[in-house]
Amino acid sequence: MKTPGKVLADKVRAIGEAKIFEVRSESLPTWCPGCGYFGIHQGLNACIKELGMPLHKVVTVSGIGCAGRYPFFTRTYGLHTVHGRTLPVATGVKMANPDLTVFAVGGDGDGLAIGGGHLPHVARRNVNINYLLFDNSIYGLTKGQPSPSSPLGMTSKASPYGTLDKPLNATLMALTYGASFVARLFAGDPKGITNALVEGARHPGFSIFHIYTSCVTFDKSFKTWEHLKEWVHPLPKDHDPTDLRQAFDQVLQDDFSVGVIYKRG
Amino acid sequence: MPGVDVTVEVCGMAGDGTIAAGGMINDAMSHGGFSVLGFDSYPAEIRGFGRCVTRSRVGDREIRALDEETHVLISLNDEESKSRVPVLTRDCVVLFDSNPPVLVEEDRSLVAILDPETRLFPMPFGDLAAAAAGTQRGRNLVALGGFAAVCGADPELFREAIRSKFKAKSQSVLQANLKSFDAGYAYALEKFHDRLLTMFASADLPKGPEKVMLSGNMAIGKAALDAGLKLYFGYPITPATPIMEYLARELPKRGGAVVQMEDEISSIGAVLGASYAGKRAMTATSGPGFALMTELITHGVMAEIPAVILNAQRGGPSTGLPTKTEQSDLHAAVFGGPGDSYRIVIAPTNVTECYYYTVKSFQLAEKYQTPVIVLTDFYLDNRVENVPMPEAREEDVRDGNIYPNVSAGEPYKRYLRTESGISPRSIPGQAGLQFTATGLEHTERGKPDYSARNHMEMSAKRFRKIQGALADLPEPEEYAPDGPLSVGVIGWGSTFGSALEAVLAARERGLRVGALKITSLYPYHEAAIRKFTSRCEEVLIPELNYSGQLISLIGRLCRKEAIPLNLATGEPFPPSLIRKKIEELAEAGAQ
Repeated sequence: MKTPGKVLADKVRAIGEAKIFEVRSESLPTWCPGCGYFGIHQGLNACIKELGMPLHKVVTVSGIGCAGRYPFFTRTYGLHTVHGRTLPVATGVKMANPDLTVFAVGGDGDGLAIGGGHLPHVARRNVNINYLLFDNSIYGLTKGQPSPSSPLGMTSKASPYGTLDKPLNATLMALTYGASFVARLFAGDPKGITNALVEGARHPGFSIFHIYTSCVTFDKSFKTWEHLKEWVHPLPKDHDPTDLRQAFDQVLQDDFSVGVIYKRG
Repeated sequence: MPGVDVTVEVCGMAGDGTIAAGGMINDAMSHGGFSVLGFDSYPAEIRGFGRCVTRSRVGDREIRALDEETHVLISLNDEESKSRVPVLTRDCVVLFDSNPPVLVEEDRSLVAILDPETRLFPMPFGDLAAAAAGTQRGRNLVALGGFAAVCGADPELFREAIRSKFKAKSQSVLQANLKSFDAGYAYALEKFHDRLLTMFASADLPKGPEKVMLSGNMAIGKAALDAGLKLYFGYPITPATPIMEYLARELPKRGGAVVQMEDEISSIGAVLGASYAGKRAMTATSGPGFALMTELITHGVMAEIPAVILNAQRGGPSTGLPTKTEQSDLHAAVFGGPGDSYRIVIAPTNVTECYYYTVKSFQLAEKYQTPVIVLTDFYLDNRVENVPMPEAREEDVRDGNIYPNVSAGEPYKRYLRTESGISPRSIPGQAGLQFTATGLEHTERGKPDYSARNHMEMSAKRFRKIQGALADLPEPEEYAPDGPLSVGVIGWGSTFGSALEAVLAARERGLRVGALKITSLYPYHEAAIRKFTSRCEEVLIPELNYSGQLISLIGRLCRKEAIPLNLATGEPFPPSLIRKKIEELAEAGAQ
């Protein structure tokens, strides 16, 4: 008789034979089914494969939150730190050994709230680390409180009368802080993520990837897949990512265009 | 003949050249072969018209602390010097400006409140400087000249100190300063010819290797360089900033880097990242910054990542007394932060130990894969001692890491529960040994696991590992005669020097007393401490904090309740206070 466990084991074996475990680890991600993080995971795994990086020369650094668990789901070296401190810790890793490729991953709470004070400094210091900001505009791991990128007026158990704070725009912040590579991406487009990551990982300086994603469990009204799919669209074909003024204009007039927004030459 | 033991103070207002004058006294007397311990106190405000005081104790035997009494006062500003009157000896030598820039009414002057026995030496500091060098700026040098002549110190030693101090300046600046000094010297020789003193004549100056003037902070900076530091991350804070500034100048010459981070949290974060990646990294801070670091320090404990953190204590809580000394972060260092977060805490007691313990801390951090906290205090960081130049031994700077040796096909268990608790650690870049370091409770392979048994076993492993570090930590040192003692004094940090001076003085008066130096504050050597306390009728623990933080840590190791002697004055612990308490206790015990 096939028990549910055996069914799962068979599935896992089939996946293993399909070589998807080359970069990702065998640990089952703790993310909910349908979570946008799977798309980001897929995109980053493909990037590492495409760049042909030896896994022992890659370090994935994270903070706390659903995205914080990321290092357990990859075969690279991992450093799962405390809430909000992903970027300073990643800075230490990269400075200690510039031969390592460093990916820093974290959510909007980790990177824009508790750790928001580090973003300007890592940008101006321009240490060659690659920061993936998983922005689903909600605290998932603590069950649905508003985050710094939640829409004004969002109601939740923690904000029953609606929030009073305007949302932050991480892409605009990164440009303002002087980040030397800025991409805005969509978790529903792993291929787009891979392309931008490959380009950003080759860029010799701080790269930020602001990735729109959905929390399927706690967000039923804002960044749902339905909405994101409707809102997100590619950058205009004539967008010149080496032009900072154009990058600002683009971000100020359009919240949902995705691609490589700025790249300092 | 009685030996030389003179405490000289220079007191002035910010801008009077007070600190410079004190520094030259230290240098000159050190070159003269004396033991010197100097300590400055200055206001927290940069230009707050605050009082500056330098104190130098000069002797012909080892000097371990400053004491309460001052034998010579050089007053560059009488209004400020009035506050120093309580510490002056009755027959104190006082050099002061007989024609100061700002005149004070006679009945409100310094002289008016001095003891009648005080030996006064009025000199027109400013006028002599102006006549000799065309500017009153050399007032402090004139005063030094007067001091050398009146007290009988060799003027050539001072000229050498002046040359060394101004060697980077133009020839005219150097000459102006030398002229001012000589003017003061000549004036005092003639004017006071019938009452010149010989305070610095010694038959037996300590022999030994050549000495250098070194502050605690400079010793720590040099230690970090000699230990092979690669990266320093820090944030400015009194009194730790001089370490960052020293390394910012020196570390790049050796292929390292200093990064001034955005706060103390990011400083310790980057130190952990760099240490995780296999390089020697450190940060230095003081109480308020240390408080910010505690969460990441416990991450280093949980994820087993090396880190060296220097906490230069100042007065607290909160912003507290930024330029005053205190020993009130002991509990924060040992227990601070969430959870059962055992880590190594060591506290040097003098400048030389500041060097050796900092060197050693890197190896300890690597071997035991843990944050190591080196606990100093303002008094220790900023005082200068003339000591033989410390040099690290090869075995103390050697790589302390223990690397895994895994056969092919075997899974690498990063957090293997070994008997010692030490699990071999791979470094990113080593193939096939990838793992994730995490602040979550985890299995031997580093996977999150909150099960009861796992947490119990992993807690035990981490505890065992830190306790095992005792084997590599300096044992307590006894300074006591054999047999029973009427009073045993236990000291740590800068207070130990004061405690030992007090004990030696009490012994000269015939008391059976001893001192115990504790430098390993966590883990600590229980058996050695018990061995000492078991032969003491009374145990006295002096500390520069209000609540008695060492007593609450090790008091249970005494036969009966230890006696606290706490000062929360912000000032160094005077040995004479400890000596008086020892005598009081010994007397009570004898009755």
